[in-house]
Amino acid sequence: MNIQHINPLAIIHALVKHHYLLGQLIKRDVLLRYRGAYFGLLWVFLNPLIMLGIFVFVFGYIFQARWPAQYSELPFAINLYCGLIAFNIFGEAISRSPLAVRSQSSYVKKIIFPVEILPMVPLGAALVHGTFNFLILIAALLWAGHFSAQIILYPLLLLPLLLLALGASWFLAAWGVFIKDMAQIVPLLVQMLFFLSPILYTASMVPEAVRPLYDLNPIGAVIEACRAAVSGTTIGWISWSVSLGVGVIAAVLGYAFFQHSRDEFADVL
Amino acid sequence: MSSDIAISVRNLSKTYRIFGHPGDRIKQALTLGRVPFHREFTALKDVSFEIKKGETVGIIGRNGSGKSTLLQLLCGILKPSSGSVTVNGRVSALLELGAGFNPEFTGRENVYFQGALMGFTRRQMEERFDDIAAFADIGEFVDQPVRMYSSGMFVRLAFAVAIHMEPEILVVDEALGVGDAAFQSKCFQRISAIREGGGSILLVTHATEQVAHFCDRAVLLDKGSLISCGDTATVLAYYINHLGLTTEKSGAGSLAIESSNIGADEQFHCNLAYNHNETRWGGGGATITDAHFFQDGRKDPATFLAGLATELRLSIRFHCNIGSLIYGLTIKTKEGGVVFSANSRDILGPSHTPSQMAGDSVQISFQFNPFLDAGSYLISVGVASETPSGLLPHDRRYDSLVFRIEHPLSPVGSIDMNPSLHIISGPA
Repeated sequence: MNIQHINPLAIIHALVKHHYLLGQLIKRDVLLRYRGAYFGLLWVFLNPLIMLGIFVFVFGYIFQARWPAQYSELPFAINLYCGLIAFNIFGEAISRSPLAVRSQSSYVKKIIFPVEILPMVPLGAALVHGTFNFLILIAALLWAGHFSAQIILYPLLLLPLLLLALGASWFLAAWGVFIKDMAQIVPLLVQMLFFLSPILYTASMVPEAVRPLYDLNPIGAVIEACRAAVSGTTIGWISWSVSLGVGVIAAVLGYAFFQHSRDEFADVL
Repeated sequence: MSSDIAISVRNLSKTYRIFGHPGDRIKQALTLGRVPFHREFTALKDVSFEIKKGETVGIIGRNGSGKSTLLQLLCGILKPSSGSVTVNGRVSALLELGAGFNPEFTGRENVYFQGALMGFTRRQMEERFDDIAAFADIGEFVDQPVRMYSSGMFVRLAFAVAIHMEPEILVVDEALGVGDAAFQSKCFQRISAIREGGGSILLVTHATEQVAHFCDRAVLLDKGSLISCGDTATVLAYYINHLGLTTEKSGAGSLAIESSNIGADEQFHCNLAYNHNETRWGGGGATITDAHFFQDGRKDPATFLAGLATELRLSIRFHCNIGSLIYGLTIKTKEGGVVFSANSRDILGPSHTPSQMAGDSVQISFQFNPFLDAGSYLISVGVASETPSGLLPHDRRYDSLVFRIEHPLSPVGSIDMNPSLHIISGPA
């Protein structure tokens, strides 16, 4: 890989320069998914709520999952939802990233286009969905009568997750162009990661023996921090900062890899 | 790079890496590229040329000659393997009409999005939108999803957007064969306007006629190499003689006509009706050497009477053995609209396929009744051969003669349909 591609400023430059086009692409992506559907944009709300309902039924009602005392003030569903929102942004973005460039071959081959923004589109769309979900969360918190001012930090706390997703998206989008199987592999990995992240349980419930291994997952610290922000408990800033560092490195390397391989996209597609 | 150069191409080469199996790419990546698992295919070899601002250049060549690769390199879509491309100005590329259009969105939404692709803000697009809609002329459909469009409407809108982006360099790949004749003429007018405004145009097409008509210069590619680059007529003649027809050696074949041969017995330009701005091109296997008009017993009158039997006599000289000959005649308005077109195959039937030997001279006579309104018309004449792979032009002289019509009544419209009127019965 060419060293000159490893340039964090290039990412910011690309974002600033193409922000209008990127915004248009994201808008199209979101609208296109619901255009013509009977329930239309209502699906943005229906989708996560149905999933939440199933998880609460299985894990809260059937398995009778017990959470540590610090979370007991909030209903199980809300605790679960805190993590689900954060993870879904990540999961949705990277599940779709292998096709982000491959499915838009006309942008690569037929027009003059800043291809590096294409892998940002699934993340952008996931963020739009995440925002709606976050609004549901706030409404639920108000209804439950447990509203912590710390919730303002929630979007900021997502930053390592977004950088990770961005880096992974660039990497997977580039690989997805050359290897068709990526579109099958990634959703599987996302599902694995879902169960290996503290969403349906908390990190403290993981047995001590496997904790060191478990804590290698940079998403875990972010989800824990997000949940702490909502429930008003102490945020683990140190492990969160480590995740942030991992996120920055992932984004820079992912971008570099994408720029390195993009010259061959048009040859392959 | 001097400021009047729009595109400069230096020693440009493009080599594709071809992997036999997707897994080979991974294997090569895993060895960090040290062990090659691919074959190489060179699509373009050491091509160099320059295009000046305001020039219209045609890129011609057979399928697989590297034309599209060259265009993609010029647009920056592909990266050169070696050499360089320097482009000076905003490029609008019509490599595929409507690339970037999404069928689920309305025409209006797609137009704005296309603007965003070209780097225009919403505001800038709002200023242009009415012009684009008027040019595409698809009425209320502009607010319908593009999937509802007929293919004609689709290309009209796509074309309208592309040429309203104020390109300094317009790159067109085989896209001009779209729409009906009226829309095409509108497109060409717009392209002329871009050219007059100092823009450069690059046209890639199989339609050698378009190149002959519109291009100042032409670039001929074959198997990835630049074969010939220069004024349109020379390059086209070279193309037709050397590459255009490899299947039929007996035709104009490989015998290129020395330019000194053409013109030895040429009287064509001595005709008073001769138009010095004619576009002449062809393989040179036959040449139209003389032309004379006759009407009402007069030879080469300055003006012609509408509707009266007219004869155009052409002298043609053959420089090699040619078969399946077709002679053609077209009358156009000054604006370029075709009013009348005929050829020997239409008039005499498909079984009429004359042959001539090298050194022969023939005279042919077209007779027609020009039921036309008063004004000036342009006549194009040509001689070609029909071949399995299409028409092989030997000598085409577009707009080579000016034909002035006088009309005693001066009807409104361009065609005199010789009307009559009878009052059959009056009111009771």
